[in-house]
Amino acid sequence: MARIIVVTSGKGGVGKTTSSASFSTGLALRGHKTAVLDFDVGLRNLDLIMGCERRVVYDLVNVINGEATLNQALIKDKHCDNLYILPASQTRDKDALSEDGVERVLNELVKMDFEFIICDSPAGIEHGALMALTFADEALIVTNPEVSSVRDSDRILGILQAKSRRAQTGGEPVKEHLLITRYSPKRVENDEMLSYQDVQEILRIPLIGIIPESESVLHASNQGNPAIHFKGTDVAEAYEDVVARFLGEERPLRFTTYEKPGLLQRIFGTK
Amino acid sequence: MSKSLSSLPIEIKISTVVAISAILHSSDPIAIDAALKQMTGGVSDFFEDEFAVIDVGAIAAETPYLDWRALVDLLKKYRLNAVAVRGATPEMAETVKALGLALDDGAGADRAREDVAAATAAVSFVASPAPIAPVVAPVAPAPIPAAVAPAAPAAPMPALIVDTPVRAGQRVYARGCDLIITAVVNNGAEIIADGSIHVYAPMHGRALAGASGNADSRIFGLSLQPELVSIAGVYRTFDEGFPAELARQPAQIRLVGDRIDISSLTPAPARV
Repeated sequence: MARIIVVTSGKGGVGKTTSSASFSTGLALRGHKTAVLDFDVGLRNLDLIMGCERRVVYDLVNVINGEATLNQALIKDKHCDNLYILPASQTRDKDALSEDGVERVLNELVKMDFEFIICDSPAGIEHGALMALTFADEALIVTNPEVSSVRDSDRILGILQAKSRRAQTGGEPVKEHLLITRYSPKRVENDEMLSYQDVQEILRIPLIGIIPESESVLHASNQGNPAIHFKGTDVAEAYEDVVARFLGEERPLRFTTYEKPGLLQRIFGTK
Repeated sequence: MSKSLSSLPIEIKISTVVAISAILHSSDPIAIDAALKQMTGGVSDFFEDEFAVIDVGAIAAETPYLDWRALVDLLKKYRLNAVAVRGATPEMAETVKALGLALDDGAGADRAREDVAAATAAVSFVASPAPIAPVVAPVAPAPIPAAVAPAAPAAPMPALIVDTPVRAGQRVYARGCDLIITAVVNNGAEIIADGSIHVYAPMHGRALAGASGNADSRIFGLSLQPELVSIAGVYRTFDEGFPAELARQPAQIRLVGDRIDISSLTPAPARV
């Protein structure tokens, strides 16, 4: 049975698209047939982060309007055979996403035997964000350890509980997962940042992972490769943990404590 | 089941709507305008397009011919959407209906009258000189449509119990009863009750008890840190932060005179 997962946050710039790219890649690398859809119509950038921007011919709005088939619009990922990307349109506005149209596209993806369908939501609580979450079975709530991001995530959780199809038809509620990104244990220790316990205390949903703040994320975006491909970095390992936990494995929390650099590290510098 | 329901062109459900009651003590649009201007302090979104019930009960007898159109437009100017009229005389009914407003009368109106008395006393400090000012009791309930106004009270209403977190942007309203919440109330949320409010988890956000004027309502919490509290329309904000000696511990909030009083409920330590 296919699972539709929305990656959402309310606030912009917290790492939704970065997380969508790495999460979907991680699922595909483990052999699951996965599609990742960019709902940020007008401001697409999932294709940039996935490094397929030059292969975009048709997009989500074309498929909704019947100007292209889903097969024509889906772009096969350059690294994994199991991963397909459906980019957003840059030339339309968000109203081009109709509820019927989105439902039709998702149903068709389910029929194509996709196991996981990841919906990368735009920021805000406007139409585009609603369309991304309406049909979700599960939600990754991406939050930075910072007050306004937590408040916006709280807001989007409320919307999820009210506006999703599952809520509207009285079905089982959307399963929520908290993903904390850009976490810096050092700044938490110095009281410059909320701890993950503080965030959880407010949002009260299960934690699926913590992604440390890292320069490798920017590096990955600029190269057009999801951060999870950068083996050996803490970000890649943290996303692998998230995927493993999502698939039901137990993994201890990592990257949450600050270790002072040792003497040798201070002399020779960090890698 | 639900599929077939949502395929119908229209679904009818009872829904409770929160509205402001604008209680007129004057029919002079200039005086009302001035009072509203002073109350809102020039903040254009003081009332955020809220519903308003115009209560003319106090002036209906002496001023049978109100300029309804001007009144509705005046409220609109302050972003209040008039939806119904309370306390109208039978002569007024036709004009009111012609304007597309509902008449709110019967059982609801009688009860409202008592509430008005309480609310007027309570919020008079908010509004300027009482005789000419419309007294606005924040979030009094307006039964809309009027047809679903409750019949004469029979058995006491059970409390509304909420077991899930109340999140930013969400609003819970316990109409005509107490509100009991067993989960966290977050900043940006609004919890409202006509009776008292009890929260058995950390309470942030805005809490409004006695929303339709009951000044004896209280707010009880195990760990309080609200942004705003209100009882029967008297409110208090915490710009400087909630009093540190009372925050994050069991406390109750009461209305004492026209002042919001917060007191600890922590039991005194047992003597050894």
